[in-house]
Amino acid sequence: MRNFILFIRRFFNLILFLGVEIVCIVLIAHTNTMQGTDIVSSANTVAGILYKKQNDVVYYFGLRKMNDSLINENARLRKQISSLRTVDTLRDTIVKKVIPSADTNRHIVHYADYLYRTAYVINNSVSSANNYITINRGSNDGIAKDMAVLSGTGLVGLVVHVSPHFASVISILSIRQQVSAKLKDGTSSFVNWEGSKPDVMIMKDIPMQIKVKPGDSIFTTGYSLHIPGDILIGIVFKLEYVKKNNMQILSLHPSTNFRNLQYVYVAGNKMAEERKQLEDSVKSKP
Amino acid sequence: MNVYVKNFLRFCFIMIIQILILNKITLRWWSQPSGFPIFIPYVYPLFILLLTFETPVWLLIILGFITGITVDTFMNTAGIHTCATVFIAYLRTNVLNALLPKNLSEYPNQSPSIKNMGWMPFLVYSGFLILLHHIVFFTIELWNISNIGYLLLKIAASAVTSMLFIIAYLLLFTRQSVGKN
Repeated sequence: MRNFILFIRRFFNLILFLGVEIVCIVLIAHTNTMQGTDIVSSANTVAGILYKKQNDVVYYFGLRKMNDSLINENARLRKQISSLRTVDTLRDTIVKKVIPSADTNRHIVHYADYLYRTAYVINNSVSSANNYITINRGSNDGIAKDMAVLSGTGLVGLVVHVSPHFASVISILSIRQQVSAKLKDGTSSFVNWEGSKPDVMIMKDIPMQIKVKPGDSIFTTGYSLHIPGDILIGIVFKLEYVKKNNMQILSLHPSTNFRNLQYVYVAGNKMAEERKQLEDSVKSKP
Repeated sequence: MNVYVKNFLRFCFIMIIQILILNKITLRWWSQPSGFPIFIPYVYPLFILLLTFETPVWLLIILGFITGITVDTFMNTAGIHTCATVFIAYLRTNVLNALLPKNLSEYPNQSPSIKNMGWMPFLVYSGFLILLHHIVFFTIELWNISNIGYLLLKIAASAVTSMLFIIAYLLLFTRQSVGKN
């Protein structure tokens, strides 16, 4: 017993060091399973309030840029409205008929039951391997885990931690975050980030016979429970052919500018609960 | 000023510099990166480096843990900064013993600084520990040996920038405390 106490006293520092390192490794491993501890994230109250105070100051310097982006988005939405008024939603059938916009609305609501909430970004990063964004809305405003976050120009990420007033979002610029994506003609695959440049993302495994040109757009699929479909992810700028398996790899520029992200929308799917129940009940049957 | 109060104020000051200023730098810095990794200079290990000579190792480890977990909380990295900071806190005493001519207990109430140690020993001391910190941090963060050139480039670039910021910090802010000691 005496020897044991002597041993502990002699190697106390080493034991303490190893103990603390084990705590760290447990924390890291815990976060990497995407469950995460809510305490050690910028969604907690102290960090959130400090970032908010900072943003209150920095906010004014970005007002001009923000106005520009909002004006651009308004213009885009106006264009979309005007094009929807004349678009023919029954293109697949033989009868071609123009539907007034009121009717189209009722048709679409049934599928696209997303509730959009605005939020502004109070902390942002593009330099780490997994990048997080903190926004100023939390569970009190109806934000929940796994909701999709969009900017005026494209997809941003998914909510991972929520506190009453803040939420942290993992952006699509993260090496452990893949997004299901499709080309204009519907060929689907995954888009992921390789961890180096914040303006290059990769889409793998597109068959050779699919013709893609630089300048083509990549959209989300809507297969996922929470990400709405047909949201722009990026624009292809380079193609590479892999001889080995006859596939091609596309490099794309994300359409969202992660460097000056200010306003985002959080999209919550009202049908998610129902759809999840249905899919789970199918899976549980033998 | 009491040494505890002084270190507490220094802790708050360094954290504010790190979190509110340096963490935001990348967003504007390389506006068009072409293959060069983007990174943040980390000056917060300076808090551990500037504690007094005779701080016991167990206290260093605990302070390292507190420092790391604070930065982790603000940067959403959950444990990676803590891991690296505790590692350099544990090694600090050994590095100082190897670099200094006298025993550490012969420097009562003094902390490592350019004035106490001289330029070269202080740069070697801080440079070595900062480099170790960055190696541990980026290795855990990227966790990908296949891209080793990128990892080394990121470590080297980040360590050099961190050292520049640390020297700037020392030249700007430690004049007064050096005079008092």
